[in-house]
Amino acid sequence: MSAPEPADWTRGEPRLVVVRCDRCGMRWYLPRVHCPLCGSRDATPSPAGGRGLCVAVTRLHVTSAGPDDDSPPLGLALVELDEGPLVMGRVHDDALAPGDRARVSFVEDAPDADRPEDRPRPRLVPSFAREGFR
Amino acid sequence: MTAQLSGVGVTAFGRQPGPDSLDWQCLAADLALADATLEPGEIDAVITGYSTVAGHLMPANLFAERFGISPAIAFGMSVGGATGLAMLAQAARLVESGAARHVLVVAGENRASGQSRQTSTAVLAQVGHADLEVPLGGTVPAYYALLASRYLWAHGLGPDGLAGLPVQMRSHAVRKTGAQFQKPISVADVLESRPVAEPLRLLDCCPVSDGGAAFVVSAAATSDRSLTIAGTGQAHRHQHLSALDPADTGAARAADGALSDAGLAWEDIDVYGIYDSFSITVALLVEELGLVPPGRAGAYAQAGAFETDGRFPMNTHGGLLSYGHCGVGGGMAHVAEVAAQLRHERGASQVAACDAAYVHADGGVLSAHVGVVLRRGGPR
Repeated sequence: MSAPEPADWTRGEPRLVVVRCDRCGMRWYLPRVHCPLCGSRDATPSPAGGRGLCVAVTRLHVTSAGPDDDSPPLGLALVELDEGPLVMGRVHDDALAPGDRARVSFVEDAPDADRPEDRPRPRLVPSFAREGFR
Repeated sequence: MTAQLSGVGVTAFGRQPGPDSLDWQCLAADLALADATLEPGEIDAVITGYSTVAGHLMPANLFAERFGISPAIAFGMSVGGATGLAMLAQAARLVESGAARHVLVVAGENRASGQSRQTSTAVLAQVGHADLEVPLGGTVPAYYALLASRYLWAHGLGPDGLAGLPVQMRSHAVRKTGAQFQKPISVADVLESRPVAEPLRLLDCCPVSDGGAAFVVSAAATSDRSLTIAGTGQAHRHQHLSALDPADTGAARAADGALSDAGLAWEDIDVYGIYDSFSITVALLVEELGLVPPGRAGAYAQAGAFETDGRFPMNTHGGLLSYGHCGVGGGMAHVAEVAAQLRHERGASQVAACDAAYVHADGGVLSAHVGVVLRRGGPR
């Protein structure tokens, strides 16, 4: 299944998109052909507000670039959007912790210096901070 | 069910350069055949687990040719960490349906020495969603670290909330020949080990290993050491972390299926083999299975619940955390261990009055679940 309309961050638009089942109202984030609850094919995507509850944070020290990578730890979070679905994003707020209200913004991914052919253009990725963090 | 686990074989795990994936598979298969007292020509079906190092379209045919057998049935399987138990369940179906008489289930990989850790990490990270998770830069440890972060927060636990689990696995491994790590560790050692993906530290994470494991599943016992595959159950409710339902990952469904298939309840189980790729993995599994209360797996570990004389003797070979993890073979070592316990062949580490075992494996990010109940002796 193609990415939902309206276009989301995977296609360069600075937004998260969630999908709502037209039949039962179930909402989800990862692309699905059928509603995982009722099986309906009819569902409507719409932009999410980008706010929710942070439920998990990690700081990743050993990235796939290897253990000798001396870049700072990579922050990742799981946020339960106010619309319901769970979303994974980066973290640009060192104090973000589970239990905090969180808000998404979109940052340009650093270019992949080792494999530029894999990522010729900068890419937008979602990143979370505490609400009110600047 | 009447299928018999007639043979098991597991090699030592560790960083053991030299043999390639096929070599490890053949070593383990020879051990399992000898254990079952069978000749290679008696095998009429082969199921082979994937190797990340030797990715191949036809792993069972590749193995069978090298091993020197011509089975009537051969196929590969790929369900992440649950592959070993999924192969065991499928082998039981093959013998029960009459399609095969002796099924060889095999996996092995030189995952530690056959590829860089960078490659291994990058390959495994592909269990994340290709468009919506992988581009964020996560790895498998990061995905499990997010589960650990949520777990510690949800239960109001401190950083030591999971540390008792790797300590227990290590204390089992100290008494097991072939384990990758045998130096005893303490809770303080876990908390002082370097952070991998916070809150997970190095000692919360299984190593990457070289090694192999194999089973023979037969339509009838080949010796009085054969064990009954009494029940199997599975659940597959999501692939990606972003779609995981923390209240129902599928673990309990798989276990319920296996127990009801076997006609047993938890009170009947004497020994456990529970997938422990990370401290958080085994914590979430034993809690969803209902063995220990939510948030208490670490405390139960520190209180000795998973010791050989505890209430839930578990992973008495040291588990993935300390015996090691060579990919598909890693989850199969749990089966080899409970088989040794059910045969009453574990010497000083023997669990008393051991007649029934439960083994559970998950693949991905608690994505694929398979549970298997094994019993000592013939069909009842």
